[in-house]
Amino acid sequence: MPTSQELQINIGPQHPSTHGVFRMTVTVDGETVVRLDPVFGYLHRNHEQLAEVSTYIQSMPYTDRLDYFNSMASNYGLALAVEKLAEIEVPQRANYIRALMNELTRILNHATAIGFLLNDMGAWQTALAFSMREREKILDLFEMASGARMMCNYFRFGGIWRDLPPEFVPQLKQLMVGLPSFFDEFDKLLRENEILRARSINIGILPKELAAAYSVTGPVLRASGIAYDIRKAEPYGIYGELDFDVPIGSVGDVYDRYLVRIEEMRQSYRMIQQIIERLPDTIGGHINPKMADIGKQKTLRPPVGDVYARIESPKGELGFYLVSDGSERPYRYKVRAPSFLNLTPLGDMCRGHRIADVVVILGSIDIVMGEVDR
Amino acid sequence: MSIEFDQGKAYTVDRGAPKARNGQGMLAGMGVVFKHFRDAMTKKLDNPSEISGVFTVQYPEERYKLPEAARNFPILLYEDASGQELCTSCFQCERICPPQVIHITQAKDPVSGKAVPAIAEFLIEYDACMSCGLCAEVCPFDAIKMDHEYELSTDVHGGLTIDRAGLMRPISYYEQLAPSFWAEVKDGALKKLQGAIKRRSGLVGIAPQMVEVLKKREPSIQESGVGSQNTAIQNPEPRTEPIELRTQNPEPPSPPTPLPVGEERRSRGEGIAATTEAATPVPTAPASSITDTTAPATAPAIPAPSGDARAEKAAKLVAIRAANAKKNETPEGTP
Repeated sequence: MPTSQELQINIGPQHPSTHGVFRMTVTVDGETVVRLDPVFGYLHRNHEQLAEVSTYIQSMPYTDRLDYFNSMASNYGLALAVEKLAEIEVPQRANYIRALMNELTRILNHATAIGFLLNDMGAWQTALAFSMREREKILDLFEMASGARMMCNYFRFGGIWRDLPPEFVPQLKQLMVGLPSFFDEFDKLLRENEILRARSINIGILPKELAAAYSVTGPVLRASGIAYDIRKAEPYGIYGELDFDVPIGSVGDVYDRYLVRIEEMRQSYRMIQQIIERLPDTIGGHINPKMADIGKQKTLRPPVGDVYARIESPKGELGFYLVSDGSERPYRYKVRAPSFLNLTPLGDMCRGHRIADVVVILGSIDIVMGEVDR
Repeated sequence: MSIEFDQGKAYTVDRGAPKARNGQGMLAGMGVVFKHFRDAMTKKLDNPSEISGVFTVQYPEERYKLPEAARNFPILLYEDASGQELCTSCFQCERICPPQVIHITQAKDPVSGKAVPAIAEFLIEYDACMSCGLCAEVCPFDAIKMDHEYELSTDVHGGLTIDRAGLMRPISYYEQLAPSFWAEVKDGALKKLQGAIKRRSGLVGIAPQMVEVLKKREPSIQESGVGSQNTAIQNPEPRTEPIELRTQNPEPPSPPTPLPVGEERRSRGEGIAATTEAATPVPTAPASSITDTTAPATAPAIPAPSGDARAEKAAKLVAIRAANAKKNETPEGTP
């Protein structure tokens, strides 16, 4: 009996379902994927080398451009690394605001990630419109606090740029009124939908062992059943004081990744509630007085040494490795990007599935090419 | 599975079960969509607590009011009445700008030739600016601020290199954008401005759009100068000439490329505030030559990659790591 002929096709780099300029070389046997090779680098912007010829604070706006959905999280990563390197204390209030911004970012990211995932499944724009609506409300808050909607550039070494404006917390509280019904509605819209279940259950399974071997992090790892969250494993900022749970999946398929994200949004909501409660009683200003002058930020010369600091960005472990030679510019600057490492097992996840499932699996990883290629 | 943390626990998400009858789950979802469809017909989403209704902003007709902190592109400020610019050309913004798009030329006294705390030319490449706001943050004289203007699209790419005349806005314009931000810095900024004015003479440091106004208001300006404490200068000729040159050329020694200052500008009807686009392209070549000649060497030198340099770098890295490992016994970054 003659075997069908294998065919190699390219998906991307310019393809609406590849979430940016990303190319997959797919070998298919009929409709079934035999082999898949991710090809990236189309959006390489030399971030790390640019950072090595810039002062530390000059890299801050560039981190916004890494993961442009979560600029607050990327800011946090760099700020944390430099603070660890230069041993800068962060006041309590600044830490609370940082965590608040990060959890808002997480809601924003997961809402849009699910929206885009459903886009990939064929629920064209309906779910995405709902998530974009919530995202816009959060972006309004970001704009109020930081001045920009997406490229926030809000964090400074030792704190944040400015304290929250007076109208911020009332608007945040209003937003919080609507969020639970948004989560419920989003869930109702999708959880029991037969088409969604058919498209996602047992699709793109990433077993525990494989996930750990590929050093996958974030919701993708937790959906595979490993309860690993940097906020729990190595608490930074005020995460040690916040009460929240870690949702994990049981199978590790696309459906689990989707459910874990919904649950994480609820956990973020819980954290924001706690933060709003405690925010009026926080002590310390928005920035360490030693670093309040921008001139100090500009001429920051951390002592000689190297440091690795990591945060739980909405996409996974975002780490910054910095080597200082005592000058104003980092000697080495390395970003451990979660999108990039979560993307590597794509080939294993897609093998044996239909070609139409490839875009769904890719969507469930939730990548941003700005961070993958840097 | 039950994993307990200090606070909270890990829990397995409920995968649910399919509905008893096929299509029920889909109908529930359709119900949600229908609810939104109905609400979209009847109500508008007014505040963040609502989650259904029309949330589209019909852009050209209706616009959001931007918050005070909103930042788009940098502008320079001058005092409304006297036309004195707040910028003293201290080069702080030029140094911190991450994409290095700010180019400043310091003004010189027309008589003595000494540098004065004012600008002769100030170029910002808006097309490469990334709106990070660091220039506004670093400015010790509060002369550079972030504008809220976002309608900058133009069909002339070069027109996005904005010169001094295009950047200048009266303080009242910024005050109206961000009243509380300006109130914070107002006193200090105006005090510093007075200090700068003492060292300026004639039309040096006067916003280009105010030059004609001032000449009309005070015909003696060429003799005495506005806000100038320097009365020793009697001859008007050397004072006006460099100013003429300045508006024509960025700097006398640079190639004579005409800079269209105050010409062919579209007015947006915002009073004295000029629009931000230059109507004709400003050549960027003189801009770079300006910064090369006057600005201190601030651009970080990128080392040329060579085999030796790389080996040297690697050796240095090993040394730093070893030193650091000795310094703190516990390894960083491991849980």
